[in-house]
Formats: sequence, structure tokens, C-alpha cells
Amino acid sequence: MSLLKVENLCSGYGKVDVLFGISFSLSEGKSLGIVGPNGVGKSTLLKTIAGEIVPKSGVVSLLGEDITGKKPEDIVRLGLSLVPEGRQIFSGLSVTENLLLGLTGRKDKSSSKIALEQVKALFPVLNTHAKHQAGMLSGGQQQQLAISRALLSAPRVLLLDEPSLGLAPNVILDVFEKLKEIIANKTAVVIVEQRAHLVASFADQTIVIRDGQIQATLSSADAKNQELLRGAYFGPGS
Amino acid sequence: MSKVRVEGLTRFKAYEILGPLGVVFVISIGVGLISASLQLAVQFALCNLVMVLALQAFVGNSGVLSFGHASFAMIGAWVSGMSTASERVKGNALALEKLWEPLITWNLNLYTSIFLAMIAGGVVAAIAGAFLMRLNGLAAGIATFAVLGLFYNFFFNNTKIGPGSQALPAVPKFDGVYEPLLLAMIAMILVYGLNVSSIGRKLRATREDLMSAPALGISTQKVRWIAFTLSGTLAGLSGAMYVHVAGTWQVQDYYLVFTFLTLAMLIIGGSASMWGAVAGTLVVTAVGQVLLLWEQGKSILGLRIDLPNGARSMLIAATLVGMLLWRSSGLTQGKEFDPRRKRN
Amino acid sequence: MQAVLDAISLGGTYALAALGLGLVFGVLKLVNFAHAELITIAAYIMVITNDLPLVVSFLIAALSATALAVLTELTVYRRLRGTGPAIMLIASFGLSVGLQKSFELIFGALPRSAAVAPWMTGSIEMANLNITIASLVTVGLTIFILLAMGYLVDYTTLGLQLRAASADFKTARLLGVRSNRLITSSFAISGVLAAFVGFIVVVENPQVEPMFGLNITILALVGIVIGGISSLRGCALGGFIVGFILSVLNTYLGNARVYAYSYLFMAVVIILLVRPGGILSKGNEMERV
Repeated sequence: MSLLKVENLCSGYGKVDVLFGISFSLSEGKSLGIVGPNGVGKSTLLKTIAGEIVPKSGVVSLLGEDITGKKPEDIVRLGLSLVPEGRQIFSGLSVTENLLLGLTGRKDKSSSKIALEQVKALFPVLNTHAKHQAGMLSGGQQQQLAISRALLSAPRVLLLDEPSLGLAPNVILDVFEKLKEIIANKTAVVIVEQRAHLVASFADQTIVIRDGQIQATLSSADAKNQELLRGAYFGPGS
Repeated sequence: MSKVRVEGLTRFKAYEILGPLGVVFVISIGVGLISASLQLAVQFALCNLVMVLALQAFVGNSGVLSFGHASFAMIGAWVSGMSTASERVKGNALALEKLWEPLITWNLNLYTSIFLAMIAGGVVAAIAGAFLMRLNGLAAGIATFAVLGLFYNFFFNNTKIGPGSQALPAVPKFDGVYEPLLLAMIAMILVYGLNVSSIGRKLRATREDLMSAPALGISTQKVRWIAFTLSGTLAGLSGAMYVHVAGTWQVQDYYLVFTFLTLAMLIIGGSASMWGAVAGTLVVTAVGQVLLLWEQGKSILGLRIDLPNGARSMLIAATLVGMLLWRSSGLTQGKEFDPRRKRN
Repeated sequence: MQAVLDAISLGGTYALAALGLGLVFGVLKLVNFAHAELITIAAYIMVITNDLPLVVSFLIAALSATALAVLTELTVYRRLRGTGPAIMLIASFGLSVGLQKSFELIFGALPRSAAVAPWMTGSIEMANLNITIASLVTVGLTIFILLAMGYLVDYTTLGLQLRAASADFKTARLLGVRSNRLITSSFAISGVLAAFVGFIVVVENPQVEPMFGLNITILALVGIVIGGISSLRGCALGGFIVGFILSVLNTYLGNARVYAYSYLFMAVVIILLVRPGGILSKGNEMERV
């Protein structure tokens, strides 16, 4: 069944409209990539799904339940978690405290301890720096912390906004390897990326957004086709 | 994509200045003719208007809150009051300590004293601004408040240079509404001029984006300082007007209540435009007057609500909060006067 | 010795007031002028219920201050959320004045007074020194509350959420921190802190009038800015410094003590010029209203 379903979503900031009728759906254990040039509304889309922005129209449903216009703190409890752009870890708090905050949105508190152990097993580096201020971590470590923190709410759907931002190439591969494990664990993942090629070859399906609308839907096989990708990205005739 | 309108983005348009001038002129003359008590209310409102305009010039354009403007009004009022009050009163009536001799014999005519008050307000603002304009946000607000607290504490306790906690009586008063009206209209023209000048635009650029303004070649500190100084000059004028309406100088008149009443007028009217300053002053003053009449048991346009004594101040405060809840970007929504638009 | 103790106790009292203000500022970026009226209402209740046992009287006072704090949040601040700090600040001032005038209507403009905890006005002899009981109790009480607050903020879930929300409210909400509940809680705690401040002040000065809490709130506000508004530690420290300096100035200025505030405000301007983000800040952050 489809975990996340977005229908005809229109969204924006104040009087400025950014997205015009976005639709897609995503089922268990699947991954969706979202690519497109700068400023087309990729982050806006994720923020709208996660409840940070109230959409102008359209419907977002999670596990069959309509979550359109709900508050972010309620949406996370229903099983959808966003790793925001720029990671947004609490740099003044310790690594452990950041992780504990991730448990806030968890419904089943009895398994909190196990969940903590699980993310530490997935990202061992967090264990070694548990007591350090999160701001002291390297960019890649901060990204791992941000993902772990989001995982602790036990999401069925995980949204990631530019997870590769500011990371060295080998670290990016590391992070994507970990994402594979997360997806294998029956979590559906949505990844917004500037690096179109990277995500298109990773995700089961990738949508290209331009001018606030979906321009193309690509399978992971299409990713090898440079022409197709470029055409969808920059429009016809490029 | 739809166009975004940036608040207070103005180029000179004749109606934007003539409209508010006309509104203030007609209301002041019209209401001032009704009764002596309303004439006094109009006089005080015009003093407040000049102060709100001073605040708009700086706070509205720069986005930096100032709690210090009342101190410039305090200084202006002191200069203009002290230099025009009767020599006999200054020599004898003030109790405690004897006033400093040169102050007793200091004697200027009304308009010279008002002009000097403006210079005094401007100079004090320029000196304070030279230090404080480096600060932003709440730190700037608190630092300007510290300036006010300092002046208040000094004047409240020093009886060599003023009446201390008491009042300096026998300051000559304006005759009717014409003089304060003329001064207020001059202040409106000055502030509108600032808003449409390149300084005004640069200042608003720093309000919208503090980080990238320098990239456009704007020195935030410098444009703020210029506006702060001009704004201090107008605050000095407001104080001088106030002292000649009240006929007495008292340091308490230029402290917290004055500071926040005028700030509230600005925010309620809409801090991003000169017209906002005018509208806020008008509306808040009108509400105060209506409540005053009700408190005195009179009826307005046939409507009469008996208010218990003392309820007025509480209701004014409640109305202020209510207006903020109702329309938080101000009555004018940051726009200048425009006769073609439906009035709110 | 008494002077030192007085300075510490005044500093501690201001630290509590500053902490209440800083708590609300942290989560809401609101400078809550109406905090003054929370202190005032607590003091009024202490005076009015003076016949009851002290603990009961204080509990009623604390409940009233907390209820008032939560009420202002629910009726005014919640509806102004997202409008910007300047508008919230002016609204809080309007609330503050409105509440003062309501107190005037309810309790009268003249001071109400009663000897609250009269045993505290006595003094005891310690190591050949005469020390007032009030200053001892105040110092003890403030230390206890500051420690309790330190525990709450550093070691409880609520405290963790408060710190996270103060740093970045948006992200905290993404993680599931319930914004309304957290903000309401911080108002409630600020109400309790205000009640303690009201109690401490009313013991020394039993003349309660509508503007009773204003002075200490304004000075505490100055305190949180010079201490560093971005951390609760900074707020408490700033409040303490302001109270301490004021007490010391009052002791040593002699006849010139009426100018204590002038010196204090001069110090404030200097501190802010040297460290715009407050004493405990980590560098020169830019912000705008």
C-alpha cells in the first residue's frame, strides 16, 4: 500500500506561489528522488509535506490518513520525519541530547532504549562522540546525527533535504550506503538533491521539478541516460 | 509568479504628502473649534504626532526599536521650557536647592527656544547615536532605554539644573492650535522627505537585510546615525511643543508612558510609512477621547456608556492590544496615503 | 558583611526575575513586560491572604501568578505568534499597563500593606555580626531556586526541549516538540518564579501598589540583555550583576546614591558596546527586530 500520497499540492510563501499541483505516491521500502534546478521549490515541497508550511491546496496523506495542514509536531508522531536542509542539528547541545530530542516524536516510548542502540549501531561514530557538543562534529558526522535523530521517532517515511550538502564525495557515498540499510528496514525515503545523477541512480524513481511542476519521472535505469536527465532538468532544446 | 510589495517602498508622489497634510489640517482645525477641552486635546495630539513621526523616521525605516527617544524630547522640552519660563518663578518658586544662576536669567523668545530645543535634541541624539548605532536588535533597544533611564535619573534628582521631581511652572503656552499645527505639518514634510530620499531607501534596505546591505555599498551605521540624529531633532521639537502646551515641565512626562504610548501609536498605525504614523496617532487619540467622554458621563453621537472612574486607562490599553490582535501590521499595512485605494 | 549579603540577596532576586523573562524570551523571542504584573499580583495576594499560614498564602499567590501568565499567553501572545518581536513587545507593554490599571480598579491606587512573614524582619547575631533574617532567607531561597531551575533545565526532558526550542524552534517542532504546550509551560514556570520574586520583595517592602513589579522587571530586562539573552545562564548572571551593582552602589555612593541608576545605566551602555551579545555571548551575532 502507499505510505505517502501527495495529490495536486500547491504551496508557497505568503503571496508567492512556488508549487503548482505536485502529485506522487510512495510505498513501503521504496525510495523517491526529487531533483531540479535551484529555487524550484524542492525544499518547499518537503516542508509542506512535513507540516512546516500550510499548503494552499491539495492533499497529503500518510498511511491513508489525511495530514494536510497538520502541525509538524503532530505529523512526526504519525510517522513522517524530515531531515531539514543544512542538517539543523542543535550545535550547542551534546550529541546524546540531540538524539534524545529525536525521541520526542516517538509514539512507543518503551522501545526507546533499543532504538537508541540501533542508531548507534548504524552510525558508530555517534557513540564515540556521545558527550561532545554536536557543533564540534564534522559535516558528515553532523549529517549522520541529523539522520539518526530523525530515525528515532520511528518514521515510516523519512524525508531528506540535500543530505549531500557540504560533504566530501566519499562521505556522501557513506551516507547513501546507510540510507540503503534504512530503506531495507521497510522505511520509505524521499531525497531532495542538487546532485541529480547521484540520486537518480540511487532511488527507485526520481521526479524532476521545474517551474513548480513535475517535468519528468525517471526510473533508476533512466539515470544512465544523460540526455534524458539533462532534457528533463533544463527543459527542451538544451 | 505574483508581485511582492515591499513595505514602505516609496518614491515621491504629491498625494502621499498632501493627503495626510490635508487630513491633519482639517481635523485639527475642525475639532479644535468645538470646545476648549478638545482644543487642548488636539494640541497634545499634535505633540504626540511629532514624536510618532520622529519614531517612524528611525524605528519604522531601520527596524531597530528605540526606547530612548523620550530622552531627546525631555531635553528639548527642558531647553525650551527653562529658557522661556518666567524669571521670577525660576528664582523663587523652586524649592529644595537654588537653581544655577545662569539658568534663572536665561530668557529666549518662544520660537528661538523651540529652534534651540530641536538642535539640543539632535545634538544629544547624534552623540548617543555615534555610540549606539553599532548595536542591533534587542541590545540596541535596551541601550537606548539605558540612555533614557540615565537622563531620567539625572533630571529627577538634580535640583541645580531643574525642578527635580517637581514641576517647573509658568512656561508660556501656545495660543490655539495654529502654532503646533504648523510645526507638526513641517515635521510631516521632513519625515516624508526622509522616507523618499536615498537615505530612507538605504535605511529600509538595512531593515530588510542587514547582511547584504553592505554589499550594496550601504554603511548601516552611517545611515542609521543620520536618521537617528534627524529623528532626535524631531523628538526635541515634540518635547518643546509639549512643554508649551502643558505650560509646565516635569521629567515624569517624558518617561515610560510617553515612550510606549507613542511607540504603540506608531505600531498600530503601521510603522513603515509616514501615513501610518499619522493614522496611528489619530486613531489612538480618538479612542482616548471617546473613552474620556464616556467616563465623564457624556454621550457621543447618541451612544452613552457609563464607565467607572479609572476604567479609561485600562480600556485604552485593552484597545491597543485588541488592535494589534486585529491587524498586526498596522492600520495602514505599511502603505503611504493613497486616495484611489479604498480606505481601511 | 550585611552589605555583602544584601548585595547577594538583591542580585539573587533580580536573577530570578531575569530567569523568568529569559525563559519566555528563549522560546517565544518575546520580551514580556507584563512579567511585572505577575510579580505584582503575587505580592497583592500575599498581602491580602496574610492571615493564612505563610505556605498556603504563598501557594495561592503562586497559583494566581501562574494562572495570569498562562492566561496572557492563551488570549494574547498565542494569537500574535509570527508577527515579529516589536509587535509582541508593544502588545506586552499594552498588557502590562492594562493589568496595572485593572489592579488600580480592583485594589485601589493606594498601597495595600501587611506584614508578610514578620519574623523575617528581625536579625540574628552571627560571629559578632548583626545580620537580618530576611537577607539570609532570601539568599538561601534564591540559591535553592536557582539550583532547582538548573536541574530542571539541564537534566529533565522539559529542560532539554526548552533549550532546543530556544536555539531553533522550527527544528524542535520537526522532532515532535509540542510548541503550544512548551510555550505554555514556560509561561507557567515564569509565573512561579515571579511569585517567588513577589514574595521576597514584599517582605522587604510591604507597600504593594499597581506598579509594584515594574522597576525590578525593567532592571531584570536590562540584566538579561547584558548577561546574554541567548542562554538562561546568561540571563540569570546578568540579572544578578544588575542587582549586585545596584546594591553596592547604594551602599557606597552615600549621598549621591540617588544617582545609582545613572551609573548603572552608564555601565549597561558600556557593557553592550564592548559585548553586544551580552557577557556570556560567543561573539558578535547580528540580529534585527
